[in-house]
Amino acid sequence: MAKGRIEVLEQYCKSCGLCVAACPVKVLRISEKTNAKGYRPVEQFKEGCIGCAMCATTCPDAAIEVFKIQE
Amino acid sequence: MGRVLMKGTEAIAEAAIQAGCKYFFGYPITPQNEIPEYMSAHLPEVGGVYVQAESEVASINMVLGGGATGYRVMTSSSSPGISLMSEGISYIAGCEIPAVIVNVMRAGPGLGGILPGQADYLQATKGGGNGDYNLIVLAPSTLQECVDLTQLAFDLAQKYRNPVMVAADGFMGQMMEAVEIKPSPTKDQPADPTWALGFMEERGGKRSHLHSLFLAPEPLEEHNRKLQKKYGAMKAAEQRCECYHMEDAELLIAAYGTTARISRSAVNNLRAEGLKVGMIRPVTLWPYPYDAFKTIPSTVKNILVAEMNAGQMVDDVKVATGCRYPVSFYGRTGGFAPSVKEIEDECRRILAL
Repeated sequence: MAKGRIEVLEQYCKSCGLCVAACPVKVLRISEKTNAKGYRPVEQFKEGCIGCAMCATTCPDAAIEVFKIQE
Repeated sequence: MGRVLMKGTEAIAEAAIQAGCKYFFGYPITPQNEIPEYMSAHLPEVGGVYVQAESEVASINMVLGGGATGYRVMTSSSSPGISLMSEGISYIAGCEIPAVIVNVMRAGPGLGGILPGQADYLQATKGGGNGDYNLIVLAPSTLQECVDLTQLAFDLAQKYRNPVMVAADGFMGQMMEAVEIKPSPTKDQPADPTWALGFMEERGGKRSHLHSLFLAPEPLEEHNRKLQKKYGAMKAAEQRCECYHMEDAELLIAAYGTTARISRSAVNNLRAEGLKVGMIRPVTLWPYPYDAFKTIPSTVKNILVAEMNAGQMVDDVKVATGCRYPVSFYGRTGGFAPSVKEIEDECRRILAL
């Protein structure tokens, strides 16, 4: 399985949770942190990202960057 | 500009600029921060001015002063910020100054939370500030409507010399949807020199004195009579409402804003099951669309009010229908919206009674 990693641009996240629902391997969740606007940004809470970029595609605020890890 | 995908708050801001808004005074608060952010970037491009005031109280009083010049001014805030502005809104109404106030409502009371709510219904429609005044309150339920009603708000504010509130909820502010933002036909309408400050020459040397203080009782009562006459004209001419599948409905859902969107899905699903459910959606929360409620067909047996609050519109529905129907309520608070399924289940429960 391909491997990937994400970076969340926390200042743009509004905790809508669309990426959490879209992630096929369910490695995302709403974090306990708070961003400058008061929202709780999303975070990857366990290994297993496959770099499919479903989260970034579904994010309405373009707050997620996805990187594929070269084997 | 064709159809573009935009965030609600940014669409509202661009719509305002395309409606000729030149001056914006505000103070940041989630979930409407993108409006001042957008205004600060784009108002200078059209020769306008953006000011971040030191507080909501300051910004609404800047709106009072700016609006007094007859130009198109605006502020935006969210629930607790609007509470702080309430005094100024009453003064603006008392001085008869046109202004547009956008309230991207969040859950309350107090500081509440930053998630969406509709619990400022009573504040927007019944007061907030002191005295016998009314705002025109517009409640969009799609982003295109956010755009259209924001532009309409500027026209209505100028027409009646009265503050107009766009009461969007946090969902409207934070979601993205395709919108088309056209320049409003009245975008370049000049300030009205018959009353606006700074046009003394055009008035033939006559001063214009905008104030809300009348120490003697007679002129104050006269002022109130004039205001009430104006509010009467608004009630006669500015009611707006959408009736959706109302013609043969047995159960009617009354909802506005985001809950109207959710209710529309519930109506479609229940209609597919053969259940006769319809929706009546006030677009103007004030003036309340009493005329539309008078056209409710005789098939209707029950009305369900759905809101993101604890039932603030229930009384208006009862008054609008002369208490002829049993009115029940379903709502969520705290930042939740009722789900389509929750509203469907509530409809099924009522229809089974």
